[in-house]
Amino acid sequence: MIRADAPLKVRGGVEFGVDLETPGMLHAVLVRSPVAHGQMRALHLEEARRSPGVVCAVSHAELAALLPAGSGDPERPVFPQEEVMYHGQPVAAIAAHTLAEARRAAKLVKVAIDPLPLWGDIESIYPEWPGSDEGNSPRINAHVHARFGEVDRILERSREVLREKYRTSGIVQMALEPHACLAHVTGGHWRVTTSTQSPYGVREDAASILGLPEERIVVEASWVGGGFGGKAAALLEPYALVLSAAADRPVKLQLSYAEEVELSRSTLPAVIRIESALRDGRIAARRVRLLLDSGASLPGRDFATGYAIGFIAGPYQIDAVELEGYAVRTNKPPFGPHRAPFVPQCAFAAESHTDGLARLAGMDPIAFRERHGLRERGLTPLGQQVGPFGLHAGLARAREMSAVWRAELPAGTGIGVAVGFWSTGSSAGGEIQIRLGPTGLVLETVEAEIGSGSVVRGLVVVASRSLGLPPEAIRVERTDTARGPMDSGVYGSRTTAALGRAIQEAALRLLEELARRVPGPDELKLDWTGAQVRVRRGPHSVELATVLTEAERLGGGIATQGRHYGRTGEIDSGRVLAGSFYGYGDFIGAVQLAAVDVDRETGRVRVLRYAAFQDAGRVVDAATYRAQVEGGVAMGLGEALTEETRWDAEGRIENAGLLDYRVPTLLEVPPIHVEAIEGFPGAGPDGAKGGGEPPVIPVPGAVANAVCDATGARVREMPLTPERVARALKLI
Amino acid sequence: MTFTLLAPATGEEAVAALLAAGPGELAVLAGGTDLLPDIDEGRTAPRRVLSLRRLPWRELNWTSTELEVGALVPLASLERNAELRRRMPGLFEAVGAVGGLALRHRATLGGNLVRASPVSDLIPILLALEARVGLYGAQGERELPLEEFLQSPRRTSLAPGELLRRVRIPARPCAFRWQRVRPANDISQLAVAVAYDPLGGDWRVATAGVAPLARRAPGAEAALHGVAPSDAEIRACADVAAHEAPVRADRRATDPYRRLLLRALVARAVRAVRDRPLESSS
Repeated sequence: MIRADAPLKVRGGVEFGVDLETPGMLHAVLVRSPVAHGQMRALHLEEARRSPGVVCAVSHAELAALLPAGSGDPERPVFPQEEVMYHGQPVAAIAAHTLAEARRAAKLVKVAIDPLPLWGDIESIYPEWPGSDEGNSPRINAHVHARFGEVDRILERSREVLREKYRTSGIVQMALEPHACLAHVTGGHWRVTTSTQSPYGVREDAASILGLPEERIVVEASWVGGGFGGKAAALLEPYALVLSAAADRPVKLQLSYAEEVELSRSTLPAVIRIESALRDGRIAARRVRLLLDSGASLPGRDFATGYAIGFIAGPYQIDAVELEGYAVRTNKPPFGPHRAPFVPQCAFAAESHTDGLARLAGMDPIAFRERHGLRERGLTPLGQQVGPFGLHAGLARAREMSAVWRAELPAGTGIGVAVGFWSTGSSAGGEIQIRLGPTGLVLETVEAEIGSGSVVRGLVVVASRSLGLPPEAIRVERTDTARGPMDSGVYGSRTTAALGRAIQEAALRLLEELARRVPGPDELKLDWTGAQVRVRRGPHSVELATVLTEAERLGGGIATQGRHYGRTGEIDSGRVLAGSFYGYGDFIGAVQLAAVDVDRETGRVRVLRYAAFQDAGRVVDAATYRAQVEGGVAMGLGEALTEETRWDAEGRIENAGLLDYRVPTLLEVPPIHVEAIEGFPGAGPDGAKGGGEPPVIPVPGAVANAVCDATGARVREMPLTPERVARALKLI
Repeated sequence: MTFTLLAPATGEEAVAALLAAGPGELAVLAGGTDLLPDIDEGRTAPRRVLSLRRLPWRELNWTSTELEVGALVPLASLERNAELRRRMPGLFEAVGAVGGLALRHRATLGGNLVRASPVSDLIPILLALEARVGLYGAQGERELPLEEFLQSPRRTSLAPGELLRRVRIPARPCAFRWQRVRPANDISQLAVAVAYDPLGGDWRVATAGVAPLARRAPGAEAALHGVAPSDAEIRACADVAAHEAPVRADRRATDPYRRLLLRALVARAVRAVRDRPLESSS
C-alpha cells in the first residue's frame, strides 16, 4: 500500500513551511543577541530601517503600538526589554522585500548589551548537589522529590552498592525542514500558516505571548518536514505576526540550520547520579538524583524534570526508590520537548547502571532485567499501576536474538541490551470531524502530516477499519483553527491512538445515522465501487447520494464528530515529597539490542546490527509502524554516538550548523530488525499503543552496554564519541 | 549578490581575464563547492566570477609511472577510475573521503588544492605521493612540487595571472587512514597518508589535522627502511610521528587524543602498504 503523500512528496508536490509564498510577501530576519547574558542598554534600528528594501524593523519598543493589549505577556516577552537570557536570543526583527536585503539590514542594527555574570554549566553552578535551602533560589526552576521504602537505610547497610554519575549532553531536533512560517495580519485578523505539530498549541502560545484573545489568531499547518517535538509550540510565529502587523503585508520567516541549533528549544545537559543496593542478586533500593539544565525556561514552567523523572529509575519493580530532581535556570535557550523528552538520557543512565549491577550480581543482563522487569499490575516508582505491558515478551525475544547474534558475529563483538518505558500521550485531547459523501470519506483535522505517517496513514487505516471502506476511498482534509475541530497536536506518540479513538466514535455515529436512513433487518455495510459509496443491507443496496438531504449534498455529505479525551494516570501522592509529577497512562515497553565493533586503539564505535522489540498493543499499519521504529532507532543512534550541542566559556553555541552538529547519515545506521510485540493492549483503537517515541529511548543505553560488553569499559557520558570511548578505555 | 560571470574558452583568455582584474575583484570558479557557500554567506563578494567550466582541463592519463589529472577533473571521476583503485588505493580512499557523493560530483581536484584548506583530506595523500603541480600563466606552464605550492592555510604560490593546470602523481603504493566523529559529511579529526617509493626505497608520511596545514612527517619517514619494515620499526615510526607533530587542540579533538590517533593511524597506514596484495604494487 502506497502512502497517500508519497507520490506527491517524491515529485516535490507538497508545500512545506519553507515553500510558503504569497504575492507581496516580505522576508524576515531575526536580529540576535551576541551575548548570552546581559542588560540591554541601547538598541538602534534607524540605520537598518534606512537600508535598501527594508519595510519595517521591530523590537520591544515598537510592540506597544502593534499589540492591542500593549506589549504582550511580560513573563514571555516577544523581545527582551532589558535582560537578555541566552546567546542568539532575538532582540529585534526586520522585514524587507528580499531575504538578502533583510540580512544586510540586520547587520546594521546597533545593540549595546552590558554583560552580566554567565550562568553556564550546571556543574559549575552546583558542583555537588543543591543544598536544601536552594529550593527557592532564582537559579532553580523546579524541584521534584518522591520516595517510598527505606531507601536511606538500605543503601547505608548494604555491602554491595553501585554509585555512579552520568552526564548527558544537549541535543536539538534538527528536522530536515527548518522552522518556517508565513504570517498575515489584516483587518484585525492575525493569521499564520506554519510548519507545526500543533496548530492549536501555536494559537494558545502565540495568544499568550502577544496578549491577544485566542479567537483573534488563526493558525493553519503547512505540510511538515519533521517535527520531533521541536514544532509543538510557538517559536517563530509571534515574530512573523508582529512584523506583519507593522508592515501590513504578509511576512515569511524561516530559520537557517545554524539558527535551528541556536534557537530550538530542546534537551539540555544533565548530570544523573544513580545508586543501587544489591542483595541476593536483587536490586533492594535505588536512588536517582537529576540535575537538569533547563536553560532560560520560566520558573515553575519547567516540564522536563517532573515529566521525565518518572521514567528515570527504569521499568523495574524495586521495593525502595527515591527520585529527586532540580531544574537549573541557565543562560541557554529554554528547555523544550524532543522525541520522548529527556527519557533516552534517563534510560542511558539507568540502563548502563542496571547493566553494571547485573555484572556485580554475576548475572546475564537479560536475565537480570527479567528478574526485575515490571509486569501488568506492577507499580512504577510513583505508585502507578501498569496495565498490559509487553516488556517481558520483548525480553524473551531479545534473549533468543542475542544468542543468534553471539553465534554469528565474530569474537570481540559487543552485544548490549537496554529497555525503556513510555506512555501513550492519549490524555491530550482531540476531536475530529468525518464527512461521508457520494465519492468517499473525508477526515477533517487541523493536523498536518509531519512525516511519521500517523495522519495520512494511521488515521486513514483506523477510519477504513471503522467503516469498512478501503483506504483509497478516504482522504484527509487539513483545515485551520478557525474552522477545524480542536486537537492537541501530533506529538506524544498519541496521534493514531487518540485521534483514532475520536474517529471510531465519529464512525459509530455515522453508521447509526445511516442505519436510521436505510432501515432493514440485515447488518449495514458500506461498499466502495472505485468511484462511489454505496450503503448495503443484505441484498438491498443504494447509492449514498440517494440518502443525503439537500443540505448534505451541497455540503459534501453527512458529517459527524468524534472526540477522545483520555485520562491522566493516578500517581500515589503519598510518595511525593516536593514538586509535581506527571501521571502517565497506558505504559509501553521497549527492548533493544545493539551489536557493536569497538576500535580498541582509537575508541571508535561502529554499530553492526540492531534489533527493536516494541510493545505495540496492536499494530495499526505494519509498514508505518516499522518506519517509525527504524527512524526512532536511527535518531537514537545519533544521540548515542555523535549529536551534542556544545557551548563555549561565553555561553555561545560553538557547533551551530549541519557540519558540526552531527546528525547521523545512512552510513551509520545498520540494518534494524523491528519486531512488534502484540497482545498487551493499550488505550488506542483496537488496543493500539503509541509507537513514535519508545524506539528512541533505549538506544544510547543499548549502545553503551554493547561497548562495555566488548571492552569492559563503562562510558558514563553520552554521546559516545571516539574520544570519550578512548578515555574510558584508558588510552589517554 | 550580483556579479559578472566570465566563462572563457581557452587558458589564454582565462589568464587575460585574471590579469585584467584588480585585487580582490575576481574569484575563480571551478566546482564551486567552497566559493558558492562563501558568496552565499557573505564571506566574499567578488564583482566578477571567472568560471573555468569551458576549459578542457579534464585529462585523466596514466603512464607506467604516473597519473596526470587535469585541474578540472571532478573527484567523482577519480572515484570511478578502476585503475586508481588498483594502483593507488590510498588516493582512491582519500578521494572517497571528501564530503558526500553529491559534492564529489562538483568538487574538482584543482579546486581542492588551490583552496589549501587546513582540513583537506587530499593534500596529505598527494604530499606523501610527492605530487607535482603544473601552473599555467602568460609565460606558459611551470611545474613545482605540491609541497612548495602550498604555503600556508588558504595560501599557495600561484602568481598573479596563474591558474592550476594539472597535477602529476607518481603511481606508488600508498595508504590513507582517517577518522571522523561521523564517518561521512564531517571533517577529519586526523588523516594520515603513507606512500612507498620503490625506486629510492624511501617512505613518505604525511598528516592532516595536526598542524595548520597538512605536512610531511620527516622523523617518522626516517624511521622506516626498505620495502618491508618490521613491526618494531613501524611502532617506532608511529611513536616519532605522534611525538614530533605540532598537534593542536580544537573543537574536533584534544591534543592527547590527536596524538593517540596519529600513533594508531600511522602504524595502520604503513602496515597497509607493507602488507598490500601483490597486484596493487606497481
